[in-house]
Amino acid sequence: MRPELPPIHEIWVYLAGSPLFALVLTLGAYALGLAVYERTQRNPLANPVLIAVVLVAAGLVLAGMPYQRYFEGAQFVHFLLGTATVSLAIPIYKGWASVKGRLGALTLAMAAGGVTSIVVAVGVLKALGADEALVRGMWAKSVTAPIAMGIAERVQASPTLTAIFAVSTGVLGAVLGRFVLNAAGVTAWWQRGFALGVAAHGIGTSRAFSVHPVAGAYASLGMGLHGVVSAVLLPVVLMQLG
Amino acid sequence: MIHGLLQLLLFQALGEVISAFIIPFIPGPVVGLVLLLAFLGWRGRVPPSMELVGGGILQHLGLLFVPASVGVVMFWPLLKENALAVSAALLLSVVATIFVTALVLKRLAPPAAQDEHAP
Repeated sequence: MRPELPPIHEIWVYLAGSPLFALVLTLGAYALGLAVYERTQRNPLANPVLIAVVLVAAGLVLAGMPYQRYFEGAQFVHFLLGTATVSLAIPIYKGWASVKGRLGALTLAMAAGGVTSIVVAVGVLKALGADEALVRGMWAKSVTAPIAMGIAERVQASPTLTAIFAVSTGVLGAVLGRFVLNAAGVTAWWQRGFALGVAAHGIGTSRAFSVHPVAGAYASLGMGLHGVVSAVLLPVVLMQLG
Repeated sequence: MIHGLLQLLLFQALGEVISAFIIPFIPGPVVGLVLLLAFLGWRGRVPPSMELVGGGILQHLGLLFVPASVGVVMFWPLLKENALAVSAALLLSVVATIFVTALVLKRLAPPAAQDEHAP
């Protein structure tokens, strides 16, 4: 005799209460995003993170699940951001040998880029009269998201808002990078990659890797340096500004 | 593989502890990153199992941003109200950052003849 299946809503209540739903939704959406990205010959507009976020958000709205409940399950994925940050030491270490003679120039360029990023973003927001909560979230957005969120918590900004800005920045940088770099007349791969890593962190870096390995290595370095320096300096600067 | 994961988690944990008790203004994972960098410099190479795990995680860095970014649903009203300002700020900022970083680098370190260039 076949055991009788419980009614569908009971199955749903059971699944929605465990982390499984959030994990399957997150990984499934990302896998779909990756498939679309590959299918479009890695068109930067078909960014897998962007696609995944839209799909998951739509899924939550459809399932009527509040974000907090989703996050309780998805936090297992989220936790790995910290591990990923630690892992950034690996590309930085490997790039070190080829970088030594250029470190001064790279650091100065990174500092100039980091300051530009904040001044322009915060300046435009303030000029257009945006909400103060948004301005705070903008400070750390050019830094790679795991570090950005850690900084955000320390400067009383919303980590979520900062993550959204960081990911949007990454996607925009990956899409526009090529045109901006051509307009600037910068052709050397290591310089193009480094600029992309500083400005568009993880998403810019994976874009750089898919274009040229040297660009990718320098993008990792740019992302890592920018992240570490910002993590140390930004809270201090913001404390001084009050 | 287990070794690599264990080592990364240990550096992360060490970073968290140091951050919590000694230097609270630097996020724990960043402290872990710096410690791991020092460790790799001392070892002189990246252990293969760490390379496997760390490389795998970094390759799919994007996936890890998804849970936090989905928080966009909570901020939707605020973002919608400020849509123009936010889009303008994000767009201009990233364009200016790429432009300035690349130009400063080009000016300070003119590329050598043996460097590979974009076509």
